[in-house]
Amino acid sequence: MTAVARPTEPAARRTTDRARRSPARPSVASPRGAVSRRLATAALVVVGLAFLLPLAWLLLAAFDGEASYQTRLPARLTLDNFTAVLTPQTTFQPLANSLLLSTATAAITVAAALLAAYPLSRYRSRFHRGVMYGVLFGTCLPITAIMVPVYGLFVALGLLDSMPGTILFLAASSLPMAVFMTKGFMDSVPLSLEEAAWIDGASAMRALRSVVVPLMRPGIAVVFVFVFLQAWGNFFAPFVLLLSPSKQPAATSIYTFFGQYGSIAYGQLAAFSLLYSIPVVMLYIVASRLIGGSFALAGSVKG
Amino acid sequence: MPALILLGLFLLGPIVWSIIGSFTDATLTGITATSPDWVGLANYERLLADPDFPLSLWLTIVFTVLSAVVGQNVLGFLIAFAMTRADRRAATLAGGVVIVAWVLPEIVAAFVAYAFFSTDGTLNQLLATVGLEGGNWLYTAPMMAIVLANVWRGTAFSMLVYRAALGEVPPDLIEAAEIDGATGWQRLTLVTIPLLRGTIGTTLMLVTLQTLSVFTLIYVMTAGGPGNASATLPVYAYQEAFRFGSIAFGTAIATVMLVIGAVFSVLYIRILSRAEADR
Amino acid sequence: MRRTIMTAAGSALAVGSLLAIAGCGAAGQEPEGQSLTVSYIRTDAFTALDTLFQAVKADFETEHPDVTVDLQPVSAADEDYKTRLALSHRSAETAPDVFYQDTTTIRADAEAGYLLPLDDYVAEWEDWSQFSEAAQAAGLGNDGSTYAISLGTDTRALWYSIPVLETAGVTTPWQPETWQDVLDMAEAVQASDPEAVPFMLYAGTGTGEGSNMQGFYQLLYGTELGGDALYDSESGRWVVRSQGFIDALEFVDTVYSEGYSLPADQALDPNVWQSVFGELFPERRLGATIEGSYTPSFWVEGGSFEWPEYADEMGAAAFPTQNGDGPGVSMSGGWTLAIGAKTELPDLAFEFVSMALNFENSLSYVKENSQIAVRADVAADESYLEANPFVGAVTALVEFTNFRPATSEYNQISAAVQNATEAVMTGQATPVEAAAAYDQEVEAIVGPDGIIEK
Repeated sequence: MTAVARPTEPAARRTTDRARRSPARPSVASPRGAVSRRLATAALVVVGLAFLLPLAWLLLAAFDGEASYQTRLPARLTLDNFTAVLTPQTTFQPLANSLLLSTATAAITVAAALLAAYPLSRYRSRFHRGVMYGVLFGTCLPITAIMVPVYGLFVALGLLDSMPGTILFLAASSLPMAVFMTKGFMDSVPLSLEEAAWIDGASAMRALRSVVVPLMRPGIAVVFVFVFLQAWGNFFAPFVLLLSPSKQPAATSIYTFFGQYGSIAYGQLAAFSLLYSIPVVMLYIVASRLIGGSFALAGSVKG
Repeated sequence: MPALILLGLFLLGPIVWSIIGSFTDATLTGITATSPDWVGLANYERLLADPDFPLSLWLTIVFTVLSAVVGQNVLGFLIAFAMTRADRRAATLAGGVVIVAWVLPEIVAAFVAYAFFSTDGTLNQLLATVGLEGGNWLYTAPMMAIVLANVWRGTAFSMLVYRAALGEVPPDLIEAAEIDGATGWQRLTLVTIPLLRGTIGTTLMLVTLQTLSVFTLIYVMTAGGPGNASATLPVYAYQEAFRFGSIAFGTAIATVMLVIGAVFSVLYIRILSRAEADR
Repeated sequence: MRRTIMTAAGSALAVGSLLAIAGCGAAGQEPEGQSLTVSYIRTDAFTALDTLFQAVKADFETEHPDVTVDLQPVSAADEDYKTRLALSHRSAETAPDVFYQDTTTIRADAEAGYLLPLDDYVAEWEDWSQFSEAAQAAGLGNDGSTYAISLGTDTRALWYSIPVLETAGVTTPWQPETWQDVLDMAEAVQASDPEAVPFMLYAGTGTGEGSNMQGFYQLLYGTELGGDALYDSESGRWVVRSQGFIDALEFVDTVYSEGYSLPADQALDPNVWQSVFGELFPERRLGATIEGSYTPSFWVEGGSFEWPEYADEMGAAAFPTQNGDGPGVSMSGGWTLAIGAKTELPDLAFEFVSMALNFENSLSYVKENSQIAVRADVAADESYLEANPFVGAVTALVEFTNFRPATSEYNQISAAVQNATEAVMTGQATPVEAAAAYDQEVEAIVGPDGIIEK
């Protein structure tokens, strides 16, 4: 079944191994290669600068006592903006809430996605194809559009203002993408190893747990990070589903910097945005170090 | 199947509920808030008659095609391609910056983009240094602003995928092509891209679907304005449902979006499976 | 290393499920004694209401030791707050007992059955007579009952720069009597300083609702039909095909085609008001504009655009009616306190509201928040009048101010009005064409039974 069902699979794996073994490109030594190398480097520098430019405002305004939307070197460097926002009410509590929301959401999503992706990856049927279609449609759904019925549902279930309820909803809304990615990773785990486990008398669940999951750890980490990032940035769902101010995540704190008649505390907004962004940037860096950078992501999206 | 339960309860349930809701006259407030009536296809008829709808549909397509299919996808590929041959440190740094824009929480990214394009913002300051007057981009060119912002924000995903996929292209194939006298461009179009067809297809699909539902970025930057000049379907649906309180009408728009997403998905899956069959 | 992530994930999962159990327990639990929930907006820049409620909570709980006041501030933009409030009214469990309510949504929310009628309560409340007639009217529902009590309001005045007008030969204090007087001033300023902006008129969709409140409505409500120019209160229908609407658009057209205002593309910037307050007036580059009574709050110490000289350089006048009938025109908005229809403690809820709106609390709230007092006793208080030099002038406008028709269709009508002014200011349509398009749009929104020709 392996070879017939997934004709591209073995080839792709072989190439992976080879690519890993020879990371350096032999052709760069040629003169033409050197020119193209310089060109490529220059292009990347331009791209990098272009992508960096918008961020400059964020970095500079955060340390500027009189920040506006202008990007400029602060007239006086100050940490005032940070001291202003570093309060339990504005920053610490919401960040802790975000951490809880995002971690739990990502964990539940990964667990559920593994279970859902396993049959999708291992058995092919018309039904599964239908499920994959459904899963895909799910990824393009604007969450705002279904918030009203979701709210009604939460009221009916008594889950409103409940962290676990919100976590379950966030998990459900990120599941489609997670299932899709997990299935991609799982497809690249060779079936032969499981077959060995089955021969030893292991159940499908056990095979999943003891053979497949350990082999696709980098993939799991990718999905985890991906879901975490989305949950971390989500504003509308927690805002609508959580009522108590003590449960609000960091995304909703952003609005405390907007005044009643439209005035904006730019410096504090920038400072808070930095604080709010640092955890996810760190998470990404740590995760990519652990799983070997971008190589892991490809597994999910292979054709 | 806990995943199915989770999906069924929290996602499928509300979706079905909203589709049913789109056949009523439910509103957020007013007399029809508590006792909505069944109105059949009235919302869809109103949608088809509403001059804002074709505009919004068109803007959604423009936004998706320019920012996702062309912008993120092509730029992501080119960056990844350049990374395979560029100086290693340059590649790491450029890649890192591109990724930061992607990792930022959406609302932060949106404010950063807003600041960049606003009248006093970075872009105009830059233009001023070369003697150009910028003007208010969010007003004069709102679509350009949100398209560029979405490219800025989302390119990392395509870049990462292509970077990984390019690393898996067997170097001996490229070398063989080079020995056969193929130019760099030919090697790219005749060897590399066909090899990556599957990856390109899937990436395109994911990026397209995600871009269709982009809301926060646009809402923060232009709120769909000026007028309706940048009101893509998610923004249009939100405005109708929440700002004007016409929940049923808003969900009718969202239902149309689902259909569009479905059409895209089926299209891509068809193309993908054909690509698979070709091999 | 890899294991750390998995372990972290595992423990998070465990924490999550523990919380799930704890959450279920907490949800079903009834707090001991009675509890009154209060929902409102609190942001770093808007703390006045939070301060007020904290104080009232303390007093209230002392008076009723068995009652807990559960304050639920929301950090959000107005629109998002309103969305969530409307959602929360859908179920008795989540609906707050007392809440901060925008005047523009009172009628619709009352119609939806979200708000408790307060007629019996205000009838017995001795302070009620202190509230101005306009403030009392702002809390009315379509059925004529009172549903909300005003916290404070704002008015719209014609703010002008004394040095700019003086240079142009316009004597100050300046009080135009007709629209023509305003145009004459603009012409004089344009002649004396071609670089200056003679008269900034907000219009179009860029500044949203603000362009109507600080612009078009000031014109429309000053035409022949006056307070009924937009919405005929007697029949409860929206006015179409009125000459006043066309005349008001003609005025917009004149201001923009003569170059009295900022060019359309700048005027349509949602943040244009920032340059009005922050640059144009302080730099003596603007003659006059229509702005809210809260204008000085931007210029006072600690405001967004500190400008100590504003007290000497600025003047405030009532915006005139079209032909000089009546003392002038003003528009008002503002927020109120209302009580949920599903509350189990209506008496306590009203007591809380009446405490929050008594003399002392109203006084400190309107002062802290640069609001116009709606209570006669507060308006007459010296400390209120001393807050800034313009308090007296903008408070006087309350006498003839107008509130918007707060029906459920209002937001859509408002958007249609913005479309009309935008079409005119950008030259896309003549006033007559834009008015005709508006009439069509209104009919599409409210149906043929919802409109009336005047």
